[in-house]
Amino acid sequence: MQRPVTTLRLSPQIKVKVLNAGFQTLDDVTQVSALELSREAGLSQEEALEVLQAARKEAGADEEGAGDGASLTALDLLQKEEALTRIVTFSSRLDAALGGGLPVGKITEICGVPGVGKTQLCLQLAVDVQVPPCFGGLGGQVVFIDTEGSFVVQRAVDLAAAAVRHCTLLAEEAEQRDAAAAFTVETILSNIFTVRCHDYVELLAEIYLLPDFLSSHPKVRLVVIDSVAFPFRQHFDELRGQRTRLLNGLAQQLISMATKHDAAVVLSNQMTTRLQGDRSQLVPALGESWGHAPTLRLLLRWAGPQRQATIFKSPDCEEATVCYQITTEGFRDDDDDDDDRSERPPSKRPRTLAGQSAAC
Amino acid sequence: MSSWRQLELHPRIVSALEKAGVQSVRDALCMSGPDLQRLTSLSASDVRRLLTAAALLCRAQRPQPVLAADHSGLRLSLGCPVLDGLLRGGLPVGGVTELSGESGVGKTQLALQLCLSVQYPARHGGLDSGAVFVCTEDAFPSRRLQQLIREQRRLRADVPSHVTDGLQFGDRVYVEHAADLTSLQSCLRRRVGLLLARHLVRFVAVDSVASLFRSEFGLSDWLEKSKQLLTLSSTLHHLCHQFNSAVLCINQVTDIFGDSEEHMGPPSSTVRPALGLAWANQVTVRLMLRRLQGTASRGQENSALRRLEVVFAPHLPRAGRDAAVWKEGVRGLDGADAPLG
Repeated sequence: MQRPVTTLRLSPQIKVKVLNAGFQTLDDVTQVSALELSREAGLSQEEALEVLQAARKEAGADEEGAGDGASLTALDLLQKEEALTRIVTFSSRLDAALGGGLPVGKITEICGVPGVGKTQLCLQLAVDVQVPPCFGGLGGQVVFIDTEGSFVVQRAVDLAAAAVRHCTLLAEEAEQRDAAAAFTVETILSNIFTVRCHDYVELLAEIYLLPDFLSSHPKVRLVVIDSVAFPFRQHFDELRGQRTRLLNGLAQQLISMATKHDAAVVLSNQMTTRLQGDRSQLVPALGESWGHAPTLRLLLRWAGPQRQATIFKSPDCEEATVCYQITTEGFRDDDDDDDDRSERPPSKRPRTLAGQSAAC
Repeated sequence: MSSWRQLELHPRIVSALEKAGVQSVRDALCMSGPDLQRLTSLSASDVRRLLTAAALLCRAQRPQPVLAADHSGLRLSLGCPVLDGLLRGGLPVGGVTELSGESGVGKTQLALQLCLSVQYPARHGGLDSGAVFVCTEDAFPSRRLQQLIREQRRLRADVPSHVTDGLQFGDRVYVEHAADLTSLQSCLRRRVGLLLARHLVRFVAVDSVASLFRSEFGLSDWLEKSKQLLTLSSTLHHLCHQFNSAVLCINQVTDIFGDSEEHMGPPSSTVRPALGLAWANQVTVRLMLRRLQGTASRGQENSALRRLEVVFAPHLPRAGRDAAVWKEGVRGLDGADAPLG
């Protein structure tokens, strides 16, 4: 393996020591033992072991041509993307505008003023991700990180009961009836893992430990943080210069979590006023650079007496606005729209994604 | 701020951290892995080990399934079944509730009523504890409190009289005064904190939040004002979740001009709660008490008609109940409870 040592993912001091000792390529390194390496390069035992591990991993990966960190072609990526499923929101108009629902493996941000429905949409998604696959859901579990104290069990029960009723109504074939029977309020609640974070340090700690939790709970398909803004906006003085850096680090961890563990990450964000000259404007909180972190951004707002959801950042769907409402059953389409065939009966999700129908 | 000795780390790691000047576990969590490596010259696996230990120390608790987690869902009853029905039990314990309305509509009355209802045992909707009332505007309405205490039997006909008679209501209502922001902050942190820590109270009312902010800040100070609002709300949230108690903040209202606030909610009235978006973002449950046209009568007594509305709450629909203020307190009126939409 003629790859130079400088390409290894190690700290610069270690690499310099290794190079100075005369080890130029991976081959040189893998042929010696840890003890010899530490003696010759002046590294500690630990560091020498690290160098060897990194070198062996890179060598092994290059030989196989596949594995962690190896490159994929664009075709591979396209096939992976199409196989990725989406989480429905139970608002068929919003789902249609999103191309089927919220994307798994990506970060979605929901912004809005207080009371417009961000927590309601988060709760709805936490229930929807659990809908059995033969009804068009993912049958997955969810981790709900609550930073504001807005997760109320009574409300989760309302939404869960409505989802159960919906599935029971739709069940036709035997398999669907069995799945609907197993889909109860108790099972739904037992598949939502909640944790309450009271400040930004607790949130950072929780996110740091989350990959381990996701590895031990491979059925989790959704991670919700409601809201990510609250803890970072409370301790104004403490955070002063660090906030952007902490948020960037958080975003990186969430992105890697979403892709590695095949989960959707949904964050809710607050709004703040920005002064432009003598006009003020409502913009999402947490700053400009934070806006680059989420792949998909939804803005929930009031337009007169109506609630509207606008997709204002998305790599693959157009900017669109739909009307929605919050009922006792949860996040739903706004049926009082003019151009609407609003008396549509609840219909089955069309099985449009190839390969999915085979499983059912 | 905890020191490194608390974690079971190799002495080599601890000494590297102390040499690099990383004071506390919290500081370390706020740095990335590569940054820590650079600062301490530790290896990647050492840094991983130390970050994991730090995170395990700082985390609140493990993610747990909803039913297993401690979601007590405690509520503090308002003392009236109709109003409790609007709130699905009452004020959420562990959260900050805001009550806004025009002057004279009855906000202070409702706060006083809660100071009494908290003292009942849990099976009657209370928290079996006292209340602290923080005044920032006028003098504390002690005569009205005495009247409410005398009429408790009448308001709480649902509670057996021996229970009501056995409670020494006046003894468990603590009154604090705060004339400006600094003294409010220190009063909350120290005196109210002490009362909560000693389990003497489990309900805190602040009457009112708006008055202090409106008098001390001019138009150009809004940045400073936002900071102070955040500090205040952070203190309130910290108190109510640390001591599992309920907090009620009374707020004033301002008029809505044109569509300057068209984003904040559907156009349902001509006034909105004061203190703006920065404060609204910090509130868990927002209630509003409005005056309606008309009066309610009960035999010889008359009361101007009011309406208690839910503006937003994570578990409640936007709805309201008509109410009236009598000698015994604020009571909801049965009947018309049309949702706001």
